[in-house]
Amino acid sequence: MFKFQDFDGRMLALRPEMTTPVARMITTRMFSTPEPIRLFYVSNVFRYSRSYVERGREFWQAGVELIGCDSDRADGEVASLLASSLRELGLNEVRLDLGHAGLFKEVQKSARLNPEEKRIFRTLVGRRDRIELEKFMSRNEFPTDLKKLVLELCEIRKLTEAASALDRRSGSGKVKRFAKALSAVADALSDYHLEDEVYFDFSLIGRIEYYTGIVFEASVPGFGFSIGGGGRYDDLLRKLSEIQTPAVGFAIEMEKCLQALQSQGCELSTLPDDLVRVLVSSISNERAVETANLLRESGVVAIADVSVRTGKKLIEYGKLARMNYVVIVESDRRRPLVIYDVRSGLKKRLPIKSFLQEICRSRGR
Amino acid sequence: MKSKIRIAVPNKGRLKQPTIDILRRSGVKILKRERVYDSETSSSRFRVSFMRAFDIPLYVQYGAADVGFTGHDIIVERDADVLELLDVGFGRCNLVVAVPKNSRIRTIEDITDVPRVATEYPNTSRKFFASKGKQVEILPVRGATELAPMLGLAEIIVDVSTTGETLAKNNLRQVAVVLESSCRFVCNKIAYRTFEREVRELIDRLKGGG
Repeated sequence: MFKFQDFDGRMLALRPEMTTPVARMITTRMFSTPEPIRLFYVSNVFRYSRSYVERGREFWQAGVELIGCDSDRADGEVASLLASSLRELGLNEVRLDLGHAGLFKEVQKSARLNPEEKRIFRTLVGRRDRIELEKFMSRNEFPTDLKKLVLELCEIRKLTEAASALDRRSGSGKVKRFAKALSAVADALSDYHLEDEVYFDFSLIGRIEYYTGIVFEASVPGFGFSIGGGGRYDDLLRKLSEIQTPAVGFAIEMEKCLQALQSQGCELSTLPDDLVRVLVSSISNERAVETANLLRESGVVAIADVSVRTGKKLIEYGKLARMNYVVIVESDRRRPLVIYDVRSGLKKRLPIKSFLQEICRSRGR
Repeated sequence: MKSKIRIAVPNKGRLKQPTIDILRRSGVKILKRERVYDSETSSSRFRVSFMRAFDIPLYVQYGAADVGFTGHDIIVERDADVLELLDVGFGRCNLVVAVPKNSRIRTIEDITDVPRVATEYPNTSRKFFASKGKQVEILPVRGATELAPMLGLAEIIVDVSTTGETLAKNNLRQVAVVLESSCRFVCNKIAYRTFEREVRELIDRLKGGG
C-alpha cells in the first residue's frame, strides 16, 4: 500500500482495492437503503508490485458488491455474474475455482494450530506439496480423520464431491457442517448452469483475515494469472460500523483481462467501430466552426483545424489522428465541400447534406 | 482442440541433458532440430521451449510456459511464485559461502567488517547474511565467481558447488551452506488448474524415473 503523511501529520493511503471504500459508504451514507443493496464500481486502485511485467502501480478494477444478504443464492448470483461478465468481454473457456475461507479456518482451529503453524499450513496447501503437508500434519498431531480429510479435500475438484467428503466425516466435528454450505452453493451455481465451469479448490482462501465464506477466482487457459475474483466477507462491515452486515462481491482486474483477451488472439481497438471522425479545415475559421457544429449535431465526431495546415500536411495529420474524412470548406457558401476519404484516398465534391447522407449510409452497413 | 502444454527446458548447462532424458523416458521425446528454441514432441499434448534455466521461473510464473525444469536455487533467487511440484532428483548441489584457503574466516561468525561478496545469487545472499546479522556488500557477477577472490574483487563468494572440486582447484574453502538444491519440476498456478490431469500424469511418470 502507498502511505503518506498529511501536512498536519495524519496518515493517508491510496486505496489498494475498492471493497473497503464501498463498505465505508454503505455504513456511513446508505444505512436507510433497503437491503440487499447491489452496487458496482469501475475504479483505479494503487498497489506496489514487484512484478517484472507490471511496471505500473495504478490498476483498474471493475467490481460488484451484494450487501445485506448471506444466502447461497446471493453467493450464486455474484459468482455467476463474474463468469458471465468475463464471457461478455469476449473471453473463452472462463473457469471459476472456488474455496471456502470458513471451512479452512475451521480445519486450522480443529487442529489447534498457532499463528505461525497456520501460516506454514496455508503455504503447504497452497504449494500443493503433499509430502511436506503429510509430514507437517503428523508433526502437529492432526487427528487421523482430519488428516485424511485434508488430503482428500486437496485432491477434490468438484463442489459436490467436497460436500460429500465433509459429510462422510465421522464424529460431530464442526468441519462437517460445511458440507451443507458447499452443496447449497453448488445448487445455486447449477441454477446458472455453471456446474461444469466451477471447480473446488481447498487451497483457495484469498486473504483469510478478510473472507469468511466462499472465495473464488476466475482464469482462462494459457494466461498465467487469475483475471478476477472475490468472495464473502461478513465481518468487514461490523469492523466499520458495529453492525453485522453480510456481503459478497468480486473485482475484475481490467489490465489482466486485456492481456488475457490478447493472449486469446482478440484484437483490441481503442475506438468504437461505428464512430465517424472528420477533420474540418477552412481559410475562414467561422466556416470551419460552423461546418464542424453541423456535423456534430448529426452525431459525427468533428474537429475544426486550428493549425492552418493545407494540402498534403493536412491530409497527413488527418491520417495520423485516425480521421475517416478530411473536409475542406470554401469561404463561398454556395460551393460544395471538398471531401477526402482518408482510407481510400479518394477525393470528391459534395454539398454538406449529401455528405451527411453518405455517412449515414456507411454507418448503416 | 485443446491448446498444447508448453514445457520450459534448460537450453544449456548441467540440467539440460538430464531433463531431456527424463522427459524422453516419460514419453515426451523432443523432436528437435538444431538451434531451434521451440520444438514439437512425440506427445500430442506437449511442446517444449528451450531457454536459460535462470529464466525458467520467470517464464513459468507469468504463464509464458506452463511447466518447466529448473534448479531450486534459481527459484529461490528469482523469488518466483510457482508451484514446485516435484524434486526430479538430479542436479543436486549446494549454494555455499566460500573464502580463500588462507582467509582467517572459518565460520560466518568470523565476519567482522563489511566484506565484499561476489555472487550470481545476490538476492539469496543478501537474505542469508542479513539472517545471520552480518553486513556485507553484494557484488553481482555473471559466472566465473571463483575468480573474484583471486583478483581481489571480493573476499567472499557465494556459489553453487556439487563436489567441492572447483572450489579446491581455485584455492577456496567452503565455510557455510546457504541452500541445498536440486532440479525441480515447476508449474504455473493457473496452468495447474487448467491442465491438472495432464500435469499430474506427467508427474507420475517423472516420479517413476521416467
